[in-house]
Amino acid sequence: MAQTLKLGSSRSSQLFRGLQELWAETVLKNSEKVIKGHKSLADMPGPSTVSFISDLFCRRGLARLHELQLEGKAKFGPVWKASFGPILTVHVAEPSLIEQVLRQEGKHPIRSDLSSWKDYRQCRGHSYGLLTAEGEEWQQFRSILGKHMLKPKEVEAYSDVLNDVVGDLIKKINYQRSQNQNNVVKDIAKEFYMFGLEGISSVLFESRIGCLEPTVPKETEKFIQSINTMFVMTLLTMAMPKFLHKIFRKPWQKFCESWDYMFAFAKGHIDKRMKDVAQKLAQGEKVEGKYLTYYLAQEKIPMKSIYGNVTELLLAGVDTISSTLSWSLYELAQHPDIQSAVYSEVEEILQGKQIPSPSDVARMPLLKAVVKEVLRLYPVIPGNARVVADRDIQVGDYIIPKKTLITLCHYATSRDENVFSNPNEFQPDRWLKKEDTHHPYASLPFGFGKRSCIGRRIAELEVYLALARILSHFEVKPEQPGSLVMPMTRTLLVPEKEINLQFLER
Amino acid sequence: MAAANKLLGISRCLLGSSRLGVPAVRTVMCPRSSRLGPGHIRAFSSEDKVTVKFINRDGETLVAQGKVGESLLDVVVEKNLDIDGFGACEGTLACSTCHLIFEDHIFQQLDPITDEEMDMLDLAYGLTDTSRLGCQICLKKSMNGMTVKVPESVADVRQAVDMGKSS
Repeated sequence: MAQTLKLGSSRSSQLFRGLQELWAETVLKNSEKVIKGHKSLADMPGPSTVSFISDLFCRRGLARLHELQLEGKAKFGPVWKASFGPILTVHVAEPSLIEQVLRQEGKHPIRSDLSSWKDYRQCRGHSYGLLTAEGEEWQQFRSILGKHMLKPKEVEAYSDVLNDVVGDLIKKINYQRSQNQNNVVKDIAKEFYMFGLEGISSVLFESRIGCLEPTVPKETEKFIQSINTMFVMTLLTMAMPKFLHKIFRKPWQKFCESWDYMFAFAKGHIDKRMKDVAQKLAQGEKVEGKYLTYYLAQEKIPMKSIYGNVTELLLAGVDTISSTLSWSLYELAQHPDIQSAVYSEVEEILQGKQIPSPSDVARMPLLKAVVKEVLRLYPVIPGNARVVADRDIQVGDYIIPKKTLITLCHYATSRDENVFSNPNEFQPDRWLKKEDTHHPYASLPFGFGKRSCIGRRIAELEVYLALARILSHFEVKPEQPGSLVMPMTRTLLVPEKEINLQFLER
Repeated sequence: MAAANKLLGISRCLLGSSRLGVPAVRTVMCPRSSRLGPGHIRAFSSEDKVTVKFINRDGETLVAQGKVGESLLDVVVEKNLDIDGFGACEGTLACSTCHLIFEDHIFQQLDPITDEEMDMLDLAYGLTDTSRLGCQICLKKSMNGMTVKVPESVADVRQAVDMGKSS
């Protein structure tokens, strides 16, 4: 409601500004002097190029990009500009201004038109996928995949296969804790990487690829390593001006090698699946599929585009799931009272049932609030971006010229003390209290609108099913009480060091 | 250019309010979809049809019929109603552009809201106590004749969605 009021007043101020302009143009015929309300890029504060580059490269700035959002806002206010290597970007760190940008994103929203991800695909002749495509091509992929990935009813269809994967995760946790003293599982993020990859593979191929076996297949391990390297190199290659790539070749080379491996990995699995289907058809068997690669193939889009899309969907389902689950257990281990409340909720709903269904987890408000709170504190995408290509837009007092890269500082808004009380505290019940309201655009872990996360509903279901089962099997405690883990940026926000936890059987 | 846009925005506002007293009623013809064969059309008698009045942002009333079970977004798409930017995410619960405001007595009868819809609705512009997302509301016989209001839009330059895409 507060939002409505706020926007209501901004609307009337826009009308006022409009009238002011109209008056200026028609009566004075001299608009430039009168429009004082609108400021340009030149008026925008921001660090000097030299100081920002030294922050990035000398003060571990790339790994601290999320903290630089907070520092930038404290120093320059909610809107500032900075040059990220060769790219000038406008940072927006106020919920109402983020809302203003997203409402003007247009018919085919663009995340960023300059990116090393696109450069790589062009360089290798690969097709774009949903993350890198733009315009009509993007719309086509989005429409096909959205139908099967976002509608809650459709997503429920993946629950059986996801529950199988969760079952294997529980076995794996049991195995790992038996290997260490005191039932400790070291580096849980690594276990959850495997879980994430197995989960998204099952959704994409409806077949299992063995990531949760006691010995992880070599190619799986290499795939996950490639994702990590690619994410580290993404920021580095973008921050480096082109001429530097010729002098320091390593980052770009490693970046390309990682992508090569990921494309090859995805292609291998797709081809294998397609071959199975072709064989079945040849033998006159009926082929039915409830997996994404099958849906894509049904739409008769070119094979190259299927490779491009599946590669991107595969990598998008790994770090995201892993970080969210790791931080959830980390925070619940630090807050035993909240953990025991979630445990009671899960037990009450399941009533002795072993495996939760989508409708069971839908009735677990505290569990969902835990995930919301984790994503507020540790948004997997700490900063998103938008480019409005065809027109200048107004953001706050500024007119942002078309084609400007706008960085949406989600980390800064979700840790803003003016929006959330005790912003650095893990307090899931803030999402359950009606009186505890905040600006709805302050925490947008999945983004908003037609270019928001396509995997959102599958990821939510996967995380709820996994957390409910883990918590009903184990009580989770820190390996060493008081050991703190901070987040770091690796394009995505990930734990800075290993999270080691004790899993005690319930 | 910006000033010209503003000017347009203002004149649309003024036009809208001048029409409030006597709303222009434009009955939208329901072209029979070429995808349906004649047998198909016969299968739906008038009893399966529900008439809905949409009050558009400019105050104009658009009247359309939909079949029981169809969502309000389906009706807008199929009848090609001219509501700017409506249903941008094609009913996948990823945006709130199909936000509609219901009459009190109809709102009371609607199926309970899910958490997913609630989260999206929170992000809608001009939220009211009787707001819901059109993609989540399916037509029932008892809704026949209801009026739903399209909320005023923020100064939003979003272009109309290519409705043909979503079918």
